[in-house]
Amino acid sequence: MNFIEIFEIWVIAFSTLALFSFLYKDNPIYKLAEHIFAGLSAGYYVGLIWDTVILQQLWNPMLDGRWWLIFPGILGILMFARFFPKFSWVSRTSLAFVMATTAGIFLISQLHGLVLPQLKATMLPLVSDAGIAATFSSIIVIIGVISTLIYFYFSKEHVGALGVTAKVGIWFIMISFGAHFGYTVMGRVSLLIGRVQFLYEDWIGSFSQIF
Amino acid sequence: METMDRRWIYLMVAIAVFIPFVFPANFPISITPETQKLYDAVEALPDSCTVMLVFDYYPSTIAECEPMTTAALHHFWRKNCKVITLSNIPLGGPSMAETVTRSIPPQYNKQYGIDFVNLGYKANYVAVLSGMGNSIESIFPTDNSGTPLSELPLMDSVYNYDDVAFIFEVADNATADYWVSIVNAQYGTPMGCGTTAVSAPKYYAFVDAGQFVGLLGGMKGAAEYEMLVGEKDKAVSGMSAQSLVHLLIIGLVLVGNIGFFLGRREEREAKI
Repeated sequence: MNFIEIFEIWVIAFSTLALFSFLYKDNPIYKLAEHIFAGLSAGYYVGLIWDTVILQQLWNPMLDGRWWLIFPGILGILMFARFFPKFSWVSRTSLAFVMATTAGIFLISQLHGLVLPQLKATMLPLVSDAGIAATFSSIIVIIGVISTLIYFYFSKEHVGALGVTAKVGIWFIMISFGAHFGYTVMGRVSLLIGRVQFLYEDWIGSFSQIF
Repeated sequence: METMDRRWIYLMVAIAVFIPFVFPANFPISITPETQKLYDAVEALPDSCTVMLVFDYYPSTIAECEPMTTAALHHFWRKNCKVITLSNIPLGGPSMAETVTRSIPPQYNKQYGIDFVNLGYKANYVAVLSGMGNSIESIFPTDNSGTPLSELPLMDSVYNYDDVAFIFEVADNATADYWVSIVNAQYGTPMGCGTTAVSAPKYYAFVDAGQFVGLLGGMKGAAEYEMLVGEKDKAVSGMSAQSLVHLLIIGLVLVGNIGFFLGRREEREAKI
Protein backbone atom coordinates (compact mmCIF):
# COMPACT_ATOMS: atom_id res chain seq x y z
CA MET A 1 0.00 0.00 0.00
CA ASN A 2 1.54 3.33 -1.01
CA PHE A 3 1.23 6.68 0.78
CA ILE A 4 -1.66 7.93 -1.38
CA GLU A 5 -3.72 4.77 -0.74
CA ILE A 6 -3.15 4.99 3.00
CA PHE A 7 -4.00 8.71 2.96
CA GLU A 8 -7.25 7.96 1.07
CA ILE A 9 -8.21 5.30 3.61
CA TRP A 10 -7.60 7.70 6.51
CA VAL A 11 -9.65 10.47 4.86
CA ILE A 12 -12.53 8.02 4.30
CA ALA A 13 -12.23 6.72 7.88
CA PHE A 14 -12.22 10.26 9.29
CA SER A 15 -15.32 11.17 7.25
CA THR A 16 -17.13 7.99 8.32
CA LEU A 17 -16.37 8.48 12.02
CA ALA A 18 -17.16 12.20 11.80
CA LEU A 19 -20.61 11.45 10.38
CA PHE A 20 -21.24 8.64 12.87
CA SER A 21 -20.42 11.06 15.69
CA PHE A 22 -23.89 12.56 15.12
CA LEU A 23 -25.34 9.43 16.73
CA TYR A 24 -23.93 10.66 20.03
CA LYS A 25 -24.94 14.27 19.48
CA ASP A 26 -24.65 17.10 16.96
CA ASN A 27 -21.11 18.49 16.91
CA PRO A 28 -18.71 20.64 14.81
CA ILE A 29 -16.82 17.63 13.40
CA TYR A 30 -20.08 16.22 12.04
CA LYS A 31 -21.00 19.62 10.56
CA LEU A 32 -17.57 19.86 8.90
CA ALA A 33 -17.94 16.44 7.26
CA GLU A 34 -21.51 17.24 6.19
CA HIS A 35 -20.51 20.55 4.59
CA ILE A 36 -17.51 19.02 2.82
CA PHE A 37 -19.80 16.33 1.38
CA ALA A 38 -22.40 18.86 0.21
CA GLY A 39 -19.79 21.13 -1.37
CA LEU A 40 -17.89 18.31 -3.06
CA SER A 41 -21.08 16.75 -4.43
CA ALA A 42 -22.30 20.04 -5.90
CA GLY A 43 -18.92 20.83 -7.47
CA TYR A 44 -18.51 17.33 -8.88
CA TYR A 45 -22.05 17.37 -10.31
CA VAL A 46 -21.59 20.74 -12.03
CA GLY A 47 -18.29 19.61 -13.57
CA LEU A 48 -19.77 16.32 -14.71
CA ILE A 49 -22.82 17.92 -16.35
CA TRP A 50 -20.63 20.55 -18.03
CA ASP A 51 -18.44 17.85 -19.55
CA THR A 52 -20.98 15.12 -20.39
CA VAL A 53 -23.90 17.30 -21.47
CA ILE A 54 -22.84 20.82 -22.46
CA LEU A 55 -19.56 19.88 -24.13
CA GLN A 56 -20.18 16.31 -25.36
CA GLN A 57 -23.84 16.56 -26.31
CA LEU A 58 -24.17 20.19 -27.37
CA TRP A 59 -21.03 22.23 -28.01
CA ASN A 60 -18.76 19.66 -29.68
CA PRO A 61 -21.45 18.25 -32.02
CA MET A 62 -22.36 21.83 -33.04
CA LEU A 63 -18.73 22.52 -33.92
CA ASP A 64 -18.78 19.28 -35.97
CA GLY A 65 -21.60 20.66 -38.11
CA ARG A 66 -24.76 19.57 -36.30
CA TRP A 67 -25.89 23.22 -36.15
CA TRP A 68 -29.55 22.35 -35.50
CA LEU A 69 -28.62 21.49 -31.89
CA ILE A 70 -28.74 25.27 -31.36
CA PHE A 71 -32.52 24.94 -30.93
CA PRO A 72 -32.48 22.62 -27.87
CA GLY A 73 -29.55 24.75 -26.66
CA ILE A 74 -31.72 27.88 -26.84
CA LEU A 75 -34.57 26.07 -25.05
CA GLY A 76 -32.10 25.20 -22.30
CA ILE A 77 -30.88 28.80 -22.00
CA LEU A 78 -34.49 30.01 -21.79
CA MET A 79 -34.88 28.01 -18.55
CA PHE A 80 -32.56 30.55 -16.88
CA ALA A 81 -35.18 33.26 -17.49
CA ARG A 82 -36.78 32.05 -14.25
CA PHE A 83 -34.09 33.99 -12.38
CA PHE A 84 -35.48 37.28 -13.80
CA PRO A 85 -39.07 37.84 -12.59
CA LYS A 86 -39.89 40.18 -15.47
CA PHE A 87 -38.99 37.55 -18.09
CA SER A 88 -39.73 34.35 -16.15
CA TRP A 89 -42.69 33.60 -18.45
CA VAL A 90 -40.21 32.85 -21.24
CA SER A 91 -39.07 29.70 -19.44
CA ARG A 92 -42.55 28.24 -19.83
CA THR A 93 -41.79 27.47 -23.47
CA SER A 94 -38.96 25.15 -22.45
CA LEU A 95 -40.99 23.68 -19.60
CA ALA A 96 -43.91 23.02 -21.97
CA PHE A 97 -41.54 21.15 -24.30
CA VAL A 98 -40.13 19.09 -21.44
CA MET A 99 -43.59 18.29 -20.06
CA ALA A 100 -45.00 17.31 -23.44
CA THR A 101 -42.12 15.00 -24.38
CA THR A 102 -41.98 13.46 -20.89
CA ALA A 103 -45.73 12.84 -20.87
CA GLY A 104 -45.56 11.28 -24.33
CA ILE A 105 -42.64 8.99 -23.47
CA PHE A 106 -44.01 7.98 -20.08
CA LEU A 107 -47.57 7.38 -21.24
CA ILE A 108 -46.43 4.63 -23.59
CA SER A 109 -43.60 3.21 -21.51
CA GLN A 110 -45.53 3.07 -18.23
CA LEU A 111 -48.62 1.56 -19.81
CA HIS A 112 -46.80 -0.86 -22.08
CA GLY A 113 -43.92 -1.64 -19.74
CA LEU A 114 -45.39 -1.57 -16.26
CA VAL A 115 -49.19 -1.45 -16.01
CA LEU A 116 -50.16 -4.08 -18.60
CA PRO A 117 -47.46 -6.69 -17.76
CA GLN A 118 -48.22 -6.35 -14.04
CA LEU A 119 -51.97 -6.69 -14.72
CA LYS A 120 -51.31 -9.74 -16.84
CA ALA A 121 -49.22 -11.29 -14.06
CA THR A 122 -52.20 -11.14 -11.67
CA MET A 123 -54.57 -12.85 -14.11
CA LEU A 124 -53.74 -16.35 -12.99
CA PRO A 125 -55.63 -19.64 -13.33
CA LEU A 126 -57.12 -20.64 -9.96
CA VAL A 127 -55.87 -24.20 -10.42
CA SER A 128 -52.26 -24.40 -11.58
CA ASP A 129 -50.63 -27.33 -13.37
CA ALA A 130 -47.44 -26.66 -11.40
CA GLY A 131 -48.74 -28.29 -8.20
CA ILE A 132 -50.59 -27.47 -4.99
CA ALA A 133 -48.11 -24.81 -3.87
CA ALA A 134 -48.50 -22.87 -7.15
CA THR A 135 -52.29 -23.18 -6.96
CA PHE A 136 -52.24 -21.88 -3.37
CA SER A 137 -49.95 -19.02 -4.44
CA SER A 138 -52.27 -18.09 -7.33
CA ILE A 139 -55.29 -18.02 -5.02
CA ILE A 140 -53.42 -15.79 -2.52
CA VAL A 141 -52.41 -13.38 -5.33
CA ILE A 142 -55.97 -13.18 -6.66
CA ILE A 143 -57.54 -12.66 -3.22
CA GLY A 144 -54.84 -10.12 -2.33
CA VAL A 145 -55.27 -8.08 -5.51
CA ILE A 146 -59.09 -8.02 -5.38
CA SER A 147 -59.39 -7.29 -1.64
CA THR A 148 -56.73 -4.55 -1.77
CA LEU A 149 -58.42 -2.90 -4.76
CA ILE A 150 -61.75 -3.03 -2.91
CA TYR A 151 -60.13 -1.37 0.13
CA PHE A 152 -59.28 1.58 -2.14
CA TYR A 153 -62.79 1.70 -3.61
CA PHE A 154 -64.40 4.66 -1.85
CA SER A 155 -67.59 5.16 -3.87
CA LYS A 156 -69.59 2.86 -1.59
CA GLU A 157 -69.58 2.53 2.19
CA HIS A 158 -67.44 -0.36 3.45
CA VAL A 159 -70.21 -2.42 5.06
CA GLY A 160 -71.40 -5.99 4.60
CA ALA A 161 -69.50 -8.13 2.10
CA LEU A 162 -67.65 -5.06 0.82
CA GLY A 163 -66.53 -4.22 4.36
CA VAL A 164 -65.29 -7.76 5.06
CA THR A 165 -63.35 -7.84 1.78
CA ALA A 166 -61.87 -4.41 2.52
CA LYS A 167 -60.73 -5.70 5.94
CA VAL A 168 -59.02 -8.64 4.23
CA GLY A 169 -57.40 -6.02 1.97
CA ILE A 170 -56.08 -4.15 5.02
CA TRP A 171 -54.43 -7.35 6.22
CA PHE A 172 -52.69 -7.79 2.88
CA ILE A 173 -51.55 -4.15 2.99
CA MET A 174 -50.25 -4.56 6.56
CA ILE A 175 -48.33 -7.73 5.66
CA SER A 176 -46.86 -5.84 2.69
CA PHE A 177 -45.84 -2.94 4.97
CA GLY A 178 -44.27 -5.45 7.36
CA ALA A 179 -42.23 -7.01 4.54
CA HIS A 180 -41.13 -3.57 3.37
CA PHE A 181 -40.17 -2.54 6.90
CA GLY A 182 -38.23 -5.76 7.48
CA TYR A 183 -36.33 -5.25 4.24
CA THR A 184 -35.70 -1.59 5.14
CA VAL A 185 -34.16 -2.62 8.46
CA MET A 186 -32.01 -5.15 6.62
CA GLY A 187 -30.92 -2.48 4.12
CA ARG A 188 -29.96 0.04 6.79
CA VAL A 189 -28.05 -2.58 8.78
CA SER A 190 -26.23 -3.56 5.56
CA LEU A 191 -25.03 0.02 5.12
CA LEU A 192 -23.64 0.00 8.67
CA ILE A 193 -21.99 -3.37 8.02
CA GLY A 194 -20.33 -1.92 4.93
CA ARG A 195 -18.81 0.92 6.94
CA VAL A 196 -17.72 -1.40 9.75
CA GLN A 197 -16.16 -3.74 7.17
CA PHE A 198 -14.18 -0.81 5.82
CA LEU A 199 -13.11 0.42 9.27
CA TYR A 200 -12.11 -3.04 10.48
CA GLU A 201 -10.47 -4.43 7.34
CA ASP A 202 -9.06 -1.38 5.54
CA TRP A 203 -8.56 1.31 8.19
CA ILE A 204 -7.43 -0.85 11.12
CA GLY A 205 -5.63 -2.99 8.54
CA SER A 206 -3.61 0.05 7.49
CA PHE A 207 -2.24 0.47 11.04
CA SER A 208 0.29 -2.27 10.41
CA GLN A 209 1.59 -0.34 7.38
CA ILE A 210 2.10 2.83 9.40
CA PHE A 211 3.11 1.69 12.88
CA MET B 1 -37.56 0.79 28.21
CA GLU B 2 -39.49 3.92 27.14
CA THR B 3 -37.09 6.17 29.03
CA MET B 4 -33.97 4.35 27.80
CA ASP B 5 -31.49 6.59 25.97
CA ARG B 6 -31.53 5.50 22.32
CA ARG B 7 -27.74 5.76 22.23
CA TRP B 8 -27.55 2.51 24.23
CA ILE B 9 -29.35 0.81 21.35
CA TYR B 10 -26.89 2.34 18.86
CA LEU B 11 -24.05 0.96 20.99
CA MET B 12 -25.62 -2.51 21.14
CA VAL B 13 -26.10 -2.55 17.34
CA ALA B 14 -22.49 -1.39 16.82
CA ILE B 15 -21.18 -4.17 19.08
CA ALA B 16 -23.40 -6.75 17.33
CA VAL B 17 -21.99 -5.67 13.96
CA PHE B 18 -18.36 -5.70 15.15
CA ILE B 19 -18.41 -9.08 16.93
CA PRO B 20 -18.65 -11.33 13.82
CA PHE B 21 -15.70 -9.52 12.22
CA VAL B 22 -13.52 -10.05 15.28
CA PHE B 23 -14.82 -13.56 15.99
CA PRO B 24 -15.99 -14.90 12.59
CA ALA B 25 -19.12 -17.04 12.71
CA ASN B 26 -20.81 -18.86 9.85
CA PHE B 27 -24.55 -18.39 9.79
CA PRO B 28 -26.21 -20.53 7.10
CA ILE B 29 -27.17 -18.76 3.84
CA SER B 30 -29.93 -20.42 1.83
CA ILE B 31 -30.39 -19.70 -1.88
CA THR B 32 -33.72 -18.09 -2.80
CA PRO B 33 -35.45 -19.03 -6.10
CA GLU B 34 -35.05 -15.46 -7.48
CA THR B 35 -31.26 -15.57 -7.09
CA GLN B 36 -31.10 -19.07 -8.54
CA LYS B 37 -33.12 -17.92 -11.56
CA LEU B 38 -30.73 -15.03 -12.18
CA TYR B 39 -27.72 -17.31 -11.90
CA ASP B 40 -29.30 -19.87 -14.25
CA ALA B 41 -30.16 -17.15 -16.78
CA VAL B 42 -26.54 -15.94 -16.88
CA GLU B 43 -25.32 -19.53 -17.08
CA ALA B 44 -27.60 -20.06 -20.09
CA LEU B 45 -26.10 -17.12 -22.01
CA PRO B 46 -24.01 -18.10 -25.03
CA ASP B 47 -20.26 -17.88 -24.42
CA SER B 48 -18.57 -14.69 -25.63
CA CYS B 49 -21.85 -12.77 -25.94
CA THR B 50 -22.05 -9.06 -25.10
CA VAL B 51 -23.76 -8.03 -21.85
CA MET B 52 -24.45 -4.72 -20.13
CA LEU B 53 -23.68 -4.25 -16.45
CA VAL B 54 -25.34 -1.11 -15.14
CA PHE B 55 -24.00 0.66 -12.05
CA ASP B 56 -27.13 2.61 -11.06
CA TYR B 57 -26.26 3.02 -7.40
CA TYR B 58 -24.76 5.73 -5.24
CA PRO B 59 -21.63 5.18 -3.13
CA SER B 60 -23.83 5.12 -0.01
CA THR B 61 -25.14 1.67 -0.96
CA ILE B 62 -21.82 0.11 -1.93
CA ALA B 63 -22.18 -2.41 0.89
CA GLU B 64 -25.21 -3.95 -0.78
CA CYS B 65 -24.62 -3.29 -4.47
CA GLU B 66 -20.88 -3.63 -5.07
CA PRO B 67 -20.76 -7.33 -4.11
CA MET B 68 -23.48 -7.88 -6.74
CA THR B 69 -21.55 -6.16 -9.54
CA THR B 70 -18.29 -7.85 -8.51
CA ALA B 71 -19.85 -11.33 -8.45
CA ALA B 72 -21.63 -10.62 -11.76
CA LEU B 73 -18.33 -9.62 -13.39
CA HIS B 74 -16.74 -12.89 -12.22
CA HIS B 75 -19.70 -14.76 -13.66
CA PHE B 76 -19.68 -12.90 -16.99
CA TRP B 77 -15.95 -13.19 -17.50
CA ARG B 78 -15.92 -16.84 -16.60
CA LYS B 79 -18.26 -17.23 -19.55
CA ASN B 80 -15.94 -15.03 -21.60
CA CYS B 81 -18.70 -12.43 -22.09
CA LYS B 82 -17.87 -8.94 -23.34
CA VAL B 83 -19.00 -6.43 -20.72
CA ILE B 84 -20.25 -2.89 -21.31
CA THR B 85 -20.66 -0.87 -18.12
CA LEU B 86 -22.53 2.40 -17.74
CA SER B 87 -24.29 4.44 -15.10
CA ASN B 88 -27.25 6.76 -14.77
CA ILE B 89 -25.97 7.98 -11.42
CA PRO B 90 -23.87 11.13 -11.55
CA LEU B 91 -22.25 10.91 -8.14
CA GLY B 92 -19.85 8.02 -8.20
CA GLY B 93 -21.51 5.66 -10.71
CA PRO B 94 -18.83 5.75 -13.43
CA SER B 95 -16.00 5.72 -10.88
CA MET B 96 -17.39 2.66 -9.16
CA ALA B 97 -17.74 0.90 -12.52
CA GLU B 98 -14.10 1.80 -13.21
CA THR B 99 -12.97 0.54 -9.79
CA VAL B 100 -14.84 -2.76 -9.98
CA THR B 101 -13.88 -3.63 -13.56
CA ARG B 102 -10.21 -2.66 -13.12
CA SER B 103 -9.91 -4.65 -9.88
CA ILE B 104 -10.77 -7.98 -11.50
CA PRO B 105 -9.15 -8.23 -14.98
CA PRO B 106 -5.77 -9.72 -13.98
CA GLN B 107 -7.52 -12.96 -12.97
CA TYR B 108 -9.19 -13.37 -16.34
CA ASN B 109 -6.65 -11.67 -18.60
CA LYS B 110 -9.20 -9.19 -19.95
CA GLN B 111 -8.24 -6.07 -21.87
CA TYR B 112 -9.99 -2.73 -21.82
CA GLY B 113 -11.58 -1.86 -25.16
CA ILE B 114 -11.60 -5.48 -26.32
CA ASP B 115 -13.28 -7.35 -23.47
CA PHE B 116 -14.88 -4.53 -21.53
CA VAL B 117 -15.78 -0.88 -21.95
CA ASN B 118 -16.94 1.70 -19.42
CA LEU B 119 -19.30 4.15 -21.13
CA GLY B 120 -19.59 6.30 -18.01
CA TYR B 121 -22.47 8.60 -17.16
CA LYS B 122 -24.87 10.66 -19.21
CA ALA B 123 -27.63 12.87 -17.81
CA ASN B 124 -31.36 12.24 -18.31
CA TYR B 125 -31.81 8.50 -18.03
CA VAL B 126 -35.07 8.45 -20.00
CA ALA B 127 -33.36 9.99 -23.03
CA VAL B 128 -30.30 7.77 -22.49
CA LEU B 129 -32.26 4.51 -22.28
CA SER B 130 -34.50 5.42 -25.24
CA GLY B 131 -31.62 6.73 -27.35
CA MET B 132 -29.44 3.64 -26.92
CA GLY B 133 -32.23 1.67 -28.62
CA ASN B 134 -31.34 3.50 -31.82
CA SER B 135 -27.61 3.91 -31.39
CA ILE B 136 -25.38 3.62 -28.35
CA GLU B 137 -22.77 5.85 -29.99
CA SER B 138 -25.27 8.69 -30.45
CA ILE B 139 -25.70 8.81 -26.66
CA PHE B 140 -22.14 7.92 -25.66
CA PRO B 141 -19.85 9.30 -28.38
CA THR B 142 -16.90 8.55 -26.07
CA ASP B 143 -16.22 6.21 -23.18
CA ASN B 144 -15.74 7.36 -19.59
CA SER B 145 -12.19 8.52 -20.19
CA GLY B 146 -12.97 10.40 -23.43
CA THR B 147 -11.86 7.79 -25.98
CA PRO B 148 -14.17 7.80 -29.03
CA LEU B 149 -16.20 4.56 -29.25
CA SER B 150 -14.98 4.13 -32.83
CA GLU B 151 -11.48 3.51 -31.42
CA LEU B 152 -12.69 0.70 -29.10
CA PRO B 153 -12.76 -2.72 -30.88
CA LEU B 154 -15.55 -4.08 -28.66
CA MET B 155 -17.92 -1.34 -29.81
CA ASP B 156 -17.39 -2.22 -33.50
CA SER B 157 -19.86 -5.06 -33.13
CA VAL B 158 -22.25 -3.34 -30.71
CA TYR B 159 -24.60 -0.80 -32.23
CA ASN B 160 -27.73 -0.89 -30.06
CA TYR B 161 -29.72 -3.22 -27.76
CA ASP B 162 -30.09 -5.77 -30.56
CA ASP B 163 -26.39 -6.59 -30.06
CA VAL B 164 -26.70 -7.00 -26.28
CA ALA B 165 -27.69 -10.47 -25.02
CA PHE B 166 -28.40 -9.56 -21.41
CA ILE B 167 -28.62 -6.52 -19.15
CA PHE B 168 -27.85 -6.75 -15.44
CA GLU B 169 -29.14 -3.64 -13.71
CA VAL B 170 -27.79 -3.03 -10.20
CA ALA B 171 -29.72 -0.14 -8.69
CA ASP B 172 -30.51 1.52 -5.39
CA ASN B 173 -33.30 3.68 -6.85
CA ALA B 174 -36.17 3.66 -9.33
CA THR B 175 -34.03 3.55 -12.49
CA ALA B 176 -34.77 -0.20 -12.61
CA ASP B 177 -38.39 0.76 -13.42
CA TYR B 178 -37.22 2.65 -16.50
CA TRP B 179 -34.95 -0.14 -17.66
CA VAL B 180 -38.00 -2.42 -17.51
CA SER B 181 -40.52 -0.05 -19.04
CA ILE B 182 -38.28 1.40 -21.74
CA VAL B 183 -35.68 -1.24 -22.59
CA ASN B 184 -37.16 -4.62 -21.64
CA ALA B 185 -40.70 -3.79 -22.74
CA GLN B 186 -39.85 -1.98 -25.96
CA TYR B 187 -36.72 -3.77 -27.13
CA GLY B 188 -37.22 -7.17 -25.47
CA THR B 189 -33.67 -7.42 -24.08
CA PRO B 190 -33.61 -9.95 -21.19
CA MET B 191 -32.84 -8.30 -17.85
CA GLY B 192 -31.79 -9.28 -14.36
CA CYS B 193 -31.79 -6.94 -11.40
CA GLY B 194 -29.83 -6.48 -8.21
CA THR B 195 -31.26 -3.98 -5.82
CA THR B 196 -31.02 -2.72 -2.27
CA ALA B 197 -33.12 -4.44 0.37
CA VAL B 198 -35.31 -1.34 0.65
CA SER B 199 -36.38 -1.67 -3.00
CA ALA B 200 -36.47 -5.47 -3.20
CA PRO B 201 -40.14 -6.10 -2.20
CA LYS B 202 -41.29 -3.93 -5.10
CA TYR B 203 -39.20 -5.79 -7.67
CA TYR B 204 -40.28 -9.33 -6.75
CA ALA B 205 -43.44 -8.57 -8.73
CA PHE B 206 -41.28 -7.92 -11.80
CA VAL B 207 -39.77 -11.41 -11.51
CA ASP B 208 -43.23 -12.98 -11.24
CA ALA B 209 -44.31 -11.02 -14.31
CA GLY B 210 -41.27 -12.28 -16.25
CA GLN B 211 -39.86 -8.78 -16.71
CA PHE B 212 -36.74 -9.66 -14.73
CA VAL B 213 -35.26 -13.13 -15.15
CA GLY B 214 -34.16 -13.02 -11.52
CA LEU B 215 -33.51 -10.70 -8.60
CA LEU B 216 -30.86 -10.11 -5.95
CA GLY B 217 -32.39 -8.42 -2.91
CA GLY B 218 -29.94 -6.52 -0.73
CA MET B 219 -26.85 -7.96 0.96
CA LYS B 220 -28.61 -11.32 1.36
CA GLY B 221 -29.16 -11.58 -2.40
CA ALA B 222 -25.56 -10.53 -3.03
CA ALA B 223 -24.30 -13.18 -0.59
CA GLU B 224 -26.40 -15.86 -2.31
CA TYR B 225 -25.01 -14.85 -5.70
CA GLU B 226 -21.44 -14.84 -4.36
CA MET B 227 -22.02 -18.39 -3.12
CA LEU B 228 -23.46 -19.57 -6.43
CA VAL B 229 -20.63 -17.98 -8.40
CA GLY B 230 -18.13 -19.44 -5.93
CA GLU B 231 -16.57 -16.10 -5.01
CA LYS B 232 -17.37 -15.65 -1.31
CA ASP B 233 -16.49 -12.08 -0.49
CA LYS B 234 -17.83 -9.06 1.38
CA ALA B 235 -21.53 -9.95 1.20
CA VAL B 236 -21.02 -13.44 2.60
CA SER B 237 -18.74 -12.14 5.37
CA GLY B 238 -21.26 -9.38 6.17
CA MET B 239 -24.20 -11.77 6.54
CA SER B 240 -23.04 -13.02 9.95
CA ALA B 241 -23.23 -9.47 11.30
CA GLN B 242 -26.57 -9.06 9.53
CA SER B 243 -28.00 -12.15 11.24
CA LEU B 244 -26.69 -11.13 14.66
CA VAL B 245 -28.16 -7.61 14.39
CA HIS B 246 -31.49 -9.06 13.27
CA LEU B 247 -31.52 -11.29 16.35
CA LEU B 248 -30.76 -8.23 18.49
CA ILE B 249 -33.57 -6.23 16.86
CA ILE B 250 -36.06 -9.08 17.33
CA GLY B 251 -34.98 -9.26 20.98
CA LEU B 252 -35.41 -5.49 21.41
CA VAL B 253 -38.87 -5.59 19.78
CA LEU B 254 -39.93 -8.39 22.13
CA VAL B 255 -38.49 -6.67 25.23
CA GLY B 256 -40.04 -3.35 24.17
CA ASN B 257 -43.48 -4.92 23.74
CA ILE B 258 -43.30 -6.86 27.00
CA GLY B 259 -42.24 -3.63 28.76
CA PHE B 260 -45.12 -1.75 27.12
CA PHE B 261 -47.77 -4.26 28.20
CA LEU B 262 -46.35 -4.58 31.74
CA GLY B 263 -46.30 -0.78 32.03
CA ARG B 264 -49.92 -0.58 30.88
CA ARG B 265 -50.98 -3.23 33.42
CA GLU B 266 -49.23 -1.33 36.18
CA GLU B 267 -51.05 1.86 35.13
CA ARG B 268 -54.40 0.05 35.25
CA GLU B 269 -53.64 -1.42 38.68
CA ALA B 270 -52.56 2.00 39.96
CA LYS B 271 -55.92 3.50 38.83
CA ILE B 272 -57.86 0.77 40.65
